[in-house]
Order: sequence, then C-alpha cells, then structure tokens
Amino acid sequence: MKQIALYGKGGIGKSTTSANLSAALSGRGLSVLQIGCDPKRDSTRMLMQGRFIPTVMDLVRVRGEAAISLPDVVFTGFNGIRCVEAGGPEPGVGCAGRGIIATFQILEKFGALEGDVIVYDVLGDVVCGGFAMPMREGYAQEIYLVTSGELMSLYAANNICKAVQRLASRAKSKCRLGGVICNAKGQPREEELVAEFARRVNSAMIQYIPRDHIVQQAEVNRQTVIEYSPGSAQAEYYRSLAQRIMENTRMTIPTPLEIDDLESLAREFI
Amino acid sequence: MTSNPLPVNSSRLGGCTLTGAISVTSHVRDAVTIIHGPKGCSHHNVSLLHASWLDNDHALLPELVSTGLSETEVIFGGEELLRQAIRHASGHEVRAIFVLSTCIVDTIGDDVVAVCSEEYGVPVIPVPTAGFLGGTFHDGVNNALIALAATAMPCQKDRGINIIGEMNLEYEVEENYAEIARLLSLLGLNVNLRFVHDVTYDQFARLGAAQLNILRSPALVPVGEYLKERFGTPYLPSFPHGLSGTLSFIRSVAGACGIDGQAAASGECRRQEELIAGFADLSHAPASLEPTHAGTDEILVAEELAAALDLAAGTPENNARLPVSAAIGTAGTRRMLHRWRRAIHA
Repeated sequence: MKQIALYGKGGIGKSTTSANLSAALSGRGLSVLQIGCDPKRDSTRMLMQGRFIPTVMDLVRVRGEAAISLPDVVFTGFNGIRCVEAGGPEPGVGCAGRGIIATFQILEKFGALEGDVIVYDVLGDVVCGGFAMPMREGYAQEIYLVTSGELMSLYAANNICKAVQRLASRAKSKCRLGGVICNAKGQPREEELVAEFARRVNSAMIQYIPRDHIVQQAEVNRQTVIEYSPGSAQAEYYRSLAQRIMENTRMTIPTPLEIDDLESLAREFI
Repeated sequence: MTSNPLPVNSSRLGGCTLTGAISVTSHVRDAVTIIHGPKGCSHHNVSLLHASWLDNDHALLPELVSTGLSETEVIFGGEELLRQAIRHASGHEVRAIFVLSTCIVDTIGDDVVAVCSEEYGVPVIPVPTAGFLGGTFHDGVNNALIALAATAMPCQKDRGINIIGEMNLEYEVEENYAEIARLLSLLGLNVNLRFVHDVTYDQFARLGAAQLNILRSPALVPVGEYLKERFGTPYLPSFPHGLSGTLSFIRSVAGACGIDGQAAASGECRRQEELIAGFADLSHAPASLEPTHAGTDEILVAEELAAALDLAAGTPENNARLPVSAAIGTAGTRRMLHRWRRAIHA
C-alpha cells in the first residue's frame, strides 16, 4: 500500500490536485482512499458530485464516537474512490489539530486505512502537531509539496520541508519528501523556478501542471477534470502525475532554505 | 545523608497555580469551585485538600466540581460544558461560584471570562489558574485573593484588622492565626476578617472596613498592594518570625494603627524571657541547626534563638541536629523549642 500526503499553501490547489490525482490513480485500476485533513472539508467534493460528505468530527460531535461505524464515515465517489473528510471544530474554537489526531485513531480502529493508495490532503500549513499527523510513523511515507512560483507559496512549501526534515530525523520515521508538484499560476519562468527550488531543497519537480481554464469548468460542473473532460490535455497532466508518483523511487530528506536564499532564488527568476 | 522534613516544613510554594487558587476558594463555605478541565485536575486537588484538612481536624470534603473535560471538548471547544456546569451549580444553594481554569482549557483558548460574565443569578468569579503558563502555587493564591477582593466594595473603616492569605494547607494554620489574634489583643485590636479562611461569601463585604491588613508572607505583597489601592488600607508584609521579630511586629502594628505599643511590647518581652528561662536545660547542649528545608528568615530566627539559649557547637560524634521551621510569634518559637528539646534529649 502506498500512502502519500499533499501539503502546500492554502488556496494553491491541493484539493483540486488531490482529487484529480485520486481520479487518475483509480483510472489505473487502483483502489484509492482520499482523506481530507482540513476542517474546511472540501477536499473530496469533486469526487462526490459536489457533495459535502459528513465528516468524522461531525459524526463524533452529533452521535458520539461509540455510535459511529465504518460505513458512516467512508463514502464511495467517482470510479469507486473511497472518500473521508476529517472535519473539525467551528472556526475559532477548540483544537482542530487534536481533531485530526482523533480522526486518525478512529480510522485506525475501523481498519479503514487500506487499499492500493491512500491520498492525504492536508491543511495549508503544518501549524501544530496535529497537522503533522499524516507524516507520522505508519501513515504517509511520501510527502508531495504543491506550490506555484509565487514567493508566498514557495515560502509555505519551504516551511513544510522543515517539518518533514524534523520528522525524518526521528529513529523510526519513514517520512520522506517525494517531490514538488508545480501547480502553475501562469507566471513567466515559473516551471524553471519551481524546478530550481525543488533541486535546492534536495528534491525534484515531479510534475508541472499548467494553468488551464478547464479546471474551473470542471469544478462548476462539480467534477474532476479526469471525469469532466478525460480527453483534455489537462487530464493528461494529472494522469502523468499519477504515473510518476507510482513509479517514483526518489525519496529524500529535504534541506529547507533560509529565507534570504529563498528570496534571492525568487529574484533570479523575475 | 537523607533528611526527614517535619510536616511544618512541607513547602508547596512551587506547585500548581490551580492548587494555590483552590486552597483559597475552597475556604468560602457557601460557595462552589468549578474546575474547568479534565477530571484528574480536580481529583488530585480534592485528595490534597481532604488530606490537609483532616490533618487540621477539619473533616469536610471540599466543594469542588469538575467540568470533566474530554477529548470531544478539547477538539470542539469546552465553553458549552462550562456553561452547563455553572448553570447546574447555580441551581443549588450557593452564594457564589468560582471558576478555575486548567492548562488544556487555556491551550485550546476557551473564553472562560466571557462565559462567566453571562447571567446565572449568582456571582460567578473567574480565576486564571492555568499552571503551564509558569505561575506557581503562590500565583494561584494571589490570583484567587485578588479576584475575590474585586467583588467587595469600599466601605466605612473601623478598628478591625484583616488577616490576608493564611496558608490554608500548612499544618499550623490555626495555631499561627491564634498567635496573631493574641498579639493583636495585647494592643486591644480585633480581627475583622480572615481573608480567606473558613468564611462566608457575604463576609467579604467587610474586607474594606479594616484599618490594617496583615499579610501571611511577603509573597502576598501584590495582594497587599491591590487592597491598598482598592480600599486605601495599609499593610504589613508578613506574620512575625521569632523572638525579636515578634516584638518589632507589635511595634509595627501599633505604629500603623496610631496607638502606643510600648506596654504590650514590654509585656511580651518579659514573656519571652520566661520562655527562654524555661528551656535553660538546653543551654550549652552540643547541637547545630538543620536548615535544609528552611528559608533565610527562618534560619536567622533560629540563629537568634540558638544564641539566646547559648547552644554549644557539637562534634561529629556528639551533635544534635535541630530542625528549623517557621516560628510564628512567641508561640511558634515555643513549639520549635519543644522540638529542639526532643532532638537534644533523643
């Protein structure tokens, strides 16, 4: 079983990329489980015909943990992909990070973490220990960073490198950086910049995904690009991403950049 | 070498902020203390209070309620649970409710003050007590005393004296109080309020009536300052320690109250001379002080006493180890002398 996690700045397109990746993986005949680890709970929408599925934390809150079972939290969407949303507290109260930890414990208890591939789609930044949960022992061993060429997006990706580096230094940790996915904004020389960033943090750009209006068209139709327009060039990029991830064997401990180095790197490609 | 500290030496000053606050709020007889946190935080404090109270022949269970915070509230927020606990407590016959916070509640950011400021029909007084913020037992005591003092209004002054911040968990709390009351009576003064020891909530209305506040220890100076600002009451920073400390305490109280304390001090001085004379059998005994668990003031007091008794320096083979503890007033000094006699004649 392959377990991968996508991390990156909020709004960079992690959920879009995750959903299309899961759709492409399922097209290869693989059994896929996608877990949204963000209280905003919109990771799996495009795999569920636009539906916001009940979250694990919603069910815990309303029914209590004792009264829920596996079928209550796992929903089958496009092409048999199993979808889970962790959910969390209302904005501004409680502890969302603890909610992620509790969700993982519940999914473990149910034996839900199975299949050929598990895709964890995680909140924009590793703000506390809870959001590092998918990187811990027994869960995702391959981390993929989603970033554009914008400085703030690279900055967030660099921060996540720090978390991966820290976790990788633990004795039993198998967590490694699998690569950088460039989800382009359409800046000039963006692909070169992200590729160079990936090289400097001791990794590689595994896929360049150009900006394409078809992504928005698919979303307003509540579908992934793979489902909405399987013959499109954009769908081919996602299928390529899926293939490269399945074939990827280069797992590294990242070397995050100092902020000055990151800024001068960005300046080189302006 | 191991040393076995006397019960009176047990210092809890470094402990949890929460415990310090509970040692205050649990002494308001007609109030309930709600501890907003996991049940263990309450359990350990109930055990501690119960054991301490039993040692002081005070066989009651403290009125503590835990909100019993669980993982569900940690994730989704615990404010509703606290609201329910306050409503539940306010439905019983209580005059006031104290709400104490815990580490996890401040970590997840529950707005305890906001929940407490809603209407429940009884005063609900929040006391910030999350221990992980670095506060000590004493900060908990001070926070609770200041939160309580804030509920009292300034009032007409009279001649009474307030006792501020008694160490409710110390073994000699009643003896020490009795000694202060005795010393005050030598000056014709009475205690107005024990703030806070075995009182009712309505008695706090008299907090501002005292002409002088006497603090149990200098750690309470922030409370003394607060009371001075709120009620204009001056304060003395500590109960008296040892022989000369007791005499200067009498003079300080007299000075602060504008009365002549000369006769009272002379009378007490004679009493102390009789006391020392009664322990003449200890003079020239080979002994040394055992100050392992004592503070600087306590050591100075013990050294003064050792000099008054004319103790001899012992040899390694022949040397009694004399326990040093807080000797409050002349009576506290007498109790320490009895312990010394037991050590020397052991």
